[in-house]
Amino acid sequence: MVTAAMLLSMAVRPAARQAPAAPGAAAAGKIPAPGQFPPYRAPRTADGKPDLNGIWQAFVTADIDIQDHDAQAGPHPDVMGAYGAWPGGQGIVEGGEIPYKPEALAKKKENAEKRMVVNITSDPHRHDTGDPELKCYMPGVPRANYMPFPFQIIETPHVVMMAYEYARALRTIYMENDKAVPQEPPADSWMGWSHGHFEGETLVVDSKGFVPYSWFDRAGDYHSDALHVVERYTPVSPYHIMYEATIEDPNVFTRPWKMSFLLYRRMDKNIQLVDFNCTEFVLDFLYGQYSKKIDK
Amino acid sequence: MRKCLGISSTALGIAAAIVACVPIIVAAQSSPDAAKAGAKTAAQASVKSDKNAAAKPQNWVMPRTADGHPDFSGYWNSLSFTPMERPAKYGNREFLTPEEMKEKFKSGVRGSYEPGAQGSEDRYGGELFNPDSVDYDATTYGLSPWQNGIKPNPRTSLVVDPPDGKIPPLTAEAKARLAAGDRAAGGFPYVVDDHHGGAVVHADRAKDLGQNTSCVTQSGGPPLIPAEYNSGLFMAQNPAYLMIETETGSEFRIIPLDGRPHVSASIHQWHGDSRGHWEGDTLVVETTNLRPDHTYRNGDPKTQKITEYFKRISADTIEYKFTVDDPSTWTKPWSAIIPMSVSTGPLFEYDCSENNNDAVNILAGARAFEKKAAEGKPISQK
Repeated sequence: MVTAAMLLSMAVRPAARQAPAAPGAAAAGKIPAPGQFPPYRAPRTADGKPDLNGIWQAFVTADIDIQDHDAQAGPHPDVMGAYGAWPGGQGIVEGGEIPYKPEALAKKKENAEKRMVVNITSDPHRHDTGDPELKCYMPGVPRANYMPFPFQIIETPHVVMMAYEYARALRTIYMENDKAVPQEPPADSWMGWSHGHFEGETLVVDSKGFVPYSWFDRAGDYHSDALHVVERYTPVSPYHIMYEATIEDPNVFTRPWKMSFLLYRRMDKNIQLVDFNCTEFVLDFLYGQYSKKIDK
Repeated sequence: MRKCLGISSTALGIAAAIVACVPIIVAAQSSPDAAKAGAKTAAQASVKSDKNAAAKPQNWVMPRTADGHPDFSGYWNSLSFTPMERPAKYGNREFLTPEEMKEKFKSGVRGSYEPGAQGSEDRYGGELFNPDSVDYDATTYGLSPWQNGIKPNPRTSLVVDPPDGKIPPLTAEAKARLAAGDRAAGGFPYVVDDHHGGAVVHADRAKDLGQNTSCVTQSGGPPLIPAEYNSGLFMAQNPAYLMIETETGSEFRIIPLDGRPHVSASIHQWHGDSRGHWEGDTLVVETTNLRPDHTYRNGDPKTQKITEYFKRISADTIEYKFTVDDPSTWTKPWSAIIPMSVSTGPLFEYDCSENNNDAVNILAGARAFEKKAAEGKPISQK
């Protein structure tokens, strides 16, 4: 069986390494070709690690579907008009296909069909149907990284914090010198249990201990509690991080598979995360079936 | 402040605390450092009487970030048995005697796992641990303060200014505002109130459950006030930012330290908009841009300004002080000091909305109650 680690070892390096553009191309007045970055070494923190601090955001449409997809009207165009329409986009899955087991592919299709069927109960059946994003639940990993919202990396010698504007989700990446934390996940969680280390320019984050309830996108792509994600964050310019993730889940997929996309540094001069505490917006949506019916 | 129905704090929160509790218990029993939060007599006496005092680092050096400022990174907990406002019997006395502090802590610990056994209102502050409250029984739903790392506090009250230890009187304007708010809520200041046997469950829809029970927001400050359980804090700091994560709800504030201006007044946030600056080795954090429906103690969002002061005073204590200045709510500004004691990590993810059984059960229960009442067969509220 191919493990995530093996796959990583043969992983395609960011395009930067593979085919560096001619140095000075920008200086010569040429527009850089997509996917091409000159060789780059990130600034260092005080303890000598690549400095990834900043506010970052992906500009892909993978939250709708991590695979290639056409634009669509979205739910209830009769009331939402173009506000509710979903853009088309190219996928982020390397090779295009997700290697589902046959029965898991059927589950993904069922998820998609019932993505707006939400029945909140006081037991785990609340998670049986409905996209967690629709319920404002935590996005999980890797979905948090390509939600259409910024997130902030705060790097310290002991931890790398990833704070997401969407649903104020938070990840703590325990770095190698933080010996006090358990290696194995003490309990399952939405955002997982993550250890990190640097390999050259790259922050490598190994996460497991996930609850089986988060999805990868609105198309119903999903995982089990055996999910294991290995992410590589490689700064390829002062303004870009190449993000790669290897997804492993033997309950759902026949082999590990990879996704990749770019993260962009938000450079707006007043940029900061602001609230998107969507729980407030979904209270009646989630619990309306238990609300008092008011006669009008 | 919190109306803790937080059974939805989930197995995760409980598992977290179980994992963390063993070293915390040791720390709670052996460290007198909370006493150093300003007490003169109590601190001296407790250090003298503590057999482990010699094991403490004698030449502690302030940890600092790369730019030379004090580093608050780590795990902290500010639970104590000291109430927010000073019980009348202490008058203007700010500090307990060493004997009083010892007895208060001992009986508090005992009471915290024998709910009701030692309950007395002068030992438990309204906002802090209250074992007489039926809505949170540590012995049933989680860990007692004793297991959560509660520490002795040498003060008679958290409020230190004014000198009588009492929050100053409300202004006439604030009294009128709060009364109007109560009327708007149908006469129920707390919409779900099962504290006093027989209160009506009054929740027509999830919003009526309040911000805490509906998982909209549960903690995070400002100010940072400990509650009955899951009062852990995690701080991560680099030269540009201090992030403070509060265990309940896994909420966070990211505080820029670079002197940038606040966001525009048109932006309103659950935890406001915080900016930090250094005054010597004290980090001063000022917060504005609070949401109108989420001010501290229902203050006036237009005038409320909360200033927090973080100061490391020993290897295992941050002296945390906050000042509330809200002239349209209180007749004068007031301040409290809450020592934060070093704690054991890690914090665990606190999924609230994702697992909110309370919201379902309370609302469904209220509908069942109404249905029976309509059928002429009311359910007893006792």
